[in-house]
Amino acid sequence: MALLERAQWYDIARSTEWAPRYVTQDELFPPELSGGEGLPDEIWATYDEPYKISYREYVDIQRQKDAGAYSVKAALERADLYNKADPGWISILKEHYAAVALVEYGASFQEARFVRWSKAPGMRNMATFGMLDEIRHGQIQLFFPHEYVSKDRQFEWSHAAMWSDNWVALGARHFFDDVMMTRDALSTSIFANFSFETGFTNLQFIGLSGDAAKAGDFTFSKLIQSIQSDEARHAQLGTPLLQMLIENGQKEQAQKKIDIAFWRSYRLFTILSGIPMDYYVPLGVREASFKEFMEEWIVTQFMRSLEDLGLSKPWYWDIFLRDISEHHHGQHLGTYSWRPTLWWDPAAGVSPEERDWLEEKYPGWNDTFGKVWDVLIDNMANGRMDRTVPGTLPMVCNVSQLPIVGTPSRTLRDISLVHEGRRYHFASEVDKWIFQDDPERYRHHKNLVDRFLGGDIQPADLGGVLEYMGLGTVGPGGEDAHGFAWLDSYRKQLATAG
Amino acid sequence: MALIPLAAHFDGDFVLKLLPVDTHHTMDEVAAAAAANSVGIHVADQPERTMRVRKQGADAPYERTDTVEKAGLTPTQCIEIYFE
Repeated sequence: MALLERAQWYDIARSTEWAPRYVTQDELFPPELSGGEGLPDEIWATYDEPYKISYREYVDIQRQKDAGAYSVKAALERADLYNKADPGWISILKEHYAAVALVEYGASFQEARFVRWSKAPGMRNMATFGMLDEIRHGQIQLFFPHEYVSKDRQFEWSHAAMWSDNWVALGARHFFDDVMMTRDALSTSIFANFSFETGFTNLQFIGLSGDAAKAGDFTFSKLIQSIQSDEARHAQLGTPLLQMLIENGQKEQAQKKIDIAFWRSYRLFTILSGIPMDYYVPLGVREASFKEFMEEWIVTQFMRSLEDLGLSKPWYWDIFLRDISEHHHGQHLGTYSWRPTLWWDPAAGVSPEERDWLEEKYPGWNDTFGKVWDVLIDNMANGRMDRTVPGTLPMVCNVSQLPIVGTPSRTLRDISLVHEGRRYHFASEVDKWIFQDDPERYRHHKNLVDRFLGGDIQPADLGGVLEYMGLGTVGPGGEDAHGFAWLDSYRKQLATAG
Repeated sequence: MALIPLAAHFDGDFVLKLLPVDTHHTMDEVAAAAAANSVGIHVADQPERTMRVRKQGADAPYERTDTVEKAGLTPTQCIEIYFE
């Protein structure tokens, strides 16, 4: 039987709009869930998604994507990647799966809320596919790490991390709850689809895909390419909404949503992408530095999409451009120093050759962050391992939930304010601005240090903190990925020096 | 006397650290407590030099015998510790 061309029936099929007679529009689409206050009612039917697909086409394409990813996995299972790959690469897998898989499942709820609450019928139709995308991403990124669980219990965190109070999970949940789960449909789409997915999933999924292939992990490379092809489609959900806001005098509101989401996404990805790209990926297979990836995917490409819409760079652009050369270096020192609190084994990434690479990519690294590593390395090379894990907690940002770090003797400083009698700390002026813009949204949350000082963590010592985070109970914590083998060259230097 | 948490910024360190101190502690004692979390861990020791404490952003340090209480520091306020 001959089929009609999609274009001949698509507009009828997706037009699920009707005029309610028993409830008001606001009851059908409550403003706090749907958003779009101040936009004319007739505008929603004009929502025109840039990417069109039918259910028949969707199912066929997705089946092919799954078949491709699963068949590569099946073919390479006997290649014994776990034992052959560099341990730094295995750490990337552990960090990625635990930080991403359950969040993808949460994203299916985000899309499902669009299906119900978006006032634009075209968006409701497209979000149905987005919801199915995210269910697939959750399932496939739980299934793929499962083959490693019998080899290494840290892979159990792939399923467990987001249910725990591990500090990285607290940061990720705070971010995703903010941008993905607790705003109206229109705002969520700008926060999550446009700002987070268009900008930053490219960084993680395309940036790491090249590194994965070079590291010999074709399974992971194929998997994240498969996922990113979905992200590239449903990330476009927010663009028509931005156009509606801009055309109806709400450009300022649109810009602010992007400015908040962009910074929050960036800071989280200093942990998820920044540290792995500059320290965990084996030196010989690194495609580019984190800063170079940021400059390509964010500074150039994402900013072009903003300019195309007539929007501006975020107000803190100068701060951001400085930050991409430093913040993730501080977070790496922090995660490595407090490595028992991680669900993965961090690679130090500071052998003499790696330090040369860091100095080349980030001029001045040896004179700043390198000096802190000098102290750490001196302790480790001389067997003073008890001096390599601090006995106290880092101060933590009340927005990003990440340790407050900076370039030693240059940019490290506390930024705080007192709001209704409570002092809040921030890892940047931008985090403080985000808090001040909507204190009611953020003021009740307690970060890890607040919980520690409030008596929620007992006993009130590092052991109690580890137990609170599930380290040693939910799963094992971190230690040096390479068993400190990279210290050999420093030990030889010591022996030569006598 | 009472326990009070401060935020410690030891010059040369890369991260602010939680520092519980007693309100009757002198600034020399505060500096020693902060050093225990930073010096020889993340910051190189300078044994020939004296450690001083100042409020973040202040030009002058507190007197070495000033107590936390006298300095009027409030919970989680940030202090800077540095080698003179």
